[in-house]
Amino acid sequence: MRRFFHFFFKDYLILTFAIGLLVAGAGRSAFAGAGPASGIKEYKQNISTAEYEKRYNAVYGKFTEQMAEQGNPAGFVLDDGRDLFKKVEGSAGKSCASCHGENGEKLEGVAAAYPKYDPAIKGINTVALQINRCRKDHMGAPELKYESYNQVALELYVKSLSNGVPINVSIDGPARPFYEAGEAYYYKRQGQLNMSCAICHVKYAGHMIRANLLSNNRHHADHWPGYRLKWGKTGSLQKRFRGCNKKVRAKPLPFQCETYRDLELYLTYQANGLPVEVPGFRM
Amino acid sequence: MRKGKITALGLALAFLFLFLPAAALAGGNAADGKKVVDTKKLGNCAACHVVPGMEFPGDVGPNLVEAMKNYSEKDRTMLRERIFDERKFNPDTIMPPFGTNKILTSQQIDDVVEYLLSFNNKK
Repeated sequence: MRRFFHFFFKDYLILTFAIGLLVAGAGRSAFAGAGPASGIKEYKQNISTAEYEKRYNAVYGKFTEQMAEQGNPAGFVLDDGRDLFKKVEGSAGKSCASCHGENGEKLEGVAAAYPKYDPAIKGINTVALQINRCRKDHMGAPELKYESYNQVALELYVKSLSNGVPINVSIDGPARPFYEAGEAYYYKRQGQLNMSCAICHVKYAGHMIRANLLSNNRHHADHWPGYRLKWGKTGSLQKRFRGCNKKVRAKPLPFQCETYRDLELYLTYQANGLPVEVPGFRM
Repeated sequence: MRKGKITALGLALAFLFLFLPAAALAGGNAADGKKVVDTKKLGNCAACHVVPGMEFPGDVGPNLVEAMKNYSEKDRTMLRERIFDERKFNPDTIMPPFGTNKILTSQQIDDVVEYLLSFNNKK
């Protein structure tokens, strides 16, 4: 009898828990609407897009104005990217332009839907990864080392063909688990400082850490590759990921690894609807 | 001769065990604490808090000059615990667990506590 009761009680607990989960899930999807339920207790975004832009201009407006007057240093990288796009390389005797149009006309707007799920790699494909896959599979050319000058230049040029096009990344169907993995990483506490990406860029977005503004996660994916004053050079979003990892004294991951690609999907989805604007310019 | 050496060693050890905890309990040094608070590679407190004499302080955490008005000597232990690991008081805090994750040494945390408590004594 006691044993029976014990089991009954356990079942009751499980049932209550399941109902609780269901109710919580229903509640979430009813009013959140934005992200899929991955079981993570999401923070509410601390700051509206309009308010964030206002603060951004208050803090960094001077630099942005100066950049507008003198030109973005990444402009030169973009020019080199255009040249690379037309340069014949590899055993097939082709350039990017051989397939994608003299100036890449056939790629216009394409990057706005990246990163996206690709069944061939059973994972998330990024622009950077796709360029290297193209070089290997179609041009017979060596893959470019991630974050090397030529790699960034080519990625920048391909993305610039979507400038002004609203970001439209899909997380439906097979992409969904990867999105959720990206979100889980975004919310994972890590490093000696024990911080998650989300606590700074969602919960405390819009606050100041010394003279720097904590950015809003909606504004992370729309402007890379870009020039960053602190780097003194043009780099990618994933270079920025590594910087963030190091800042909280966590171990940075390799470029274009699965986790970073999932994270890029997660962040780009947050930027859905914003126009692609490369090259960016950041402090 | 040999026995003498061992006795000396024993005495030294006894001395260590007797007086080290006493030294630790004696607490920190406010001037050293200020250094820890203001140094980017150590406490870097101004990243999130207003602390005296640091320009462009952050505004993620409470203003420590103001907050310390509510703390006195009797809160010393609690203050130390908060710096050691704020998660004990606020599980989802952004504040790094300076003690638990060994960002600062025990002595450095004592020094910081001493420095913070000194805010109220200033005229």
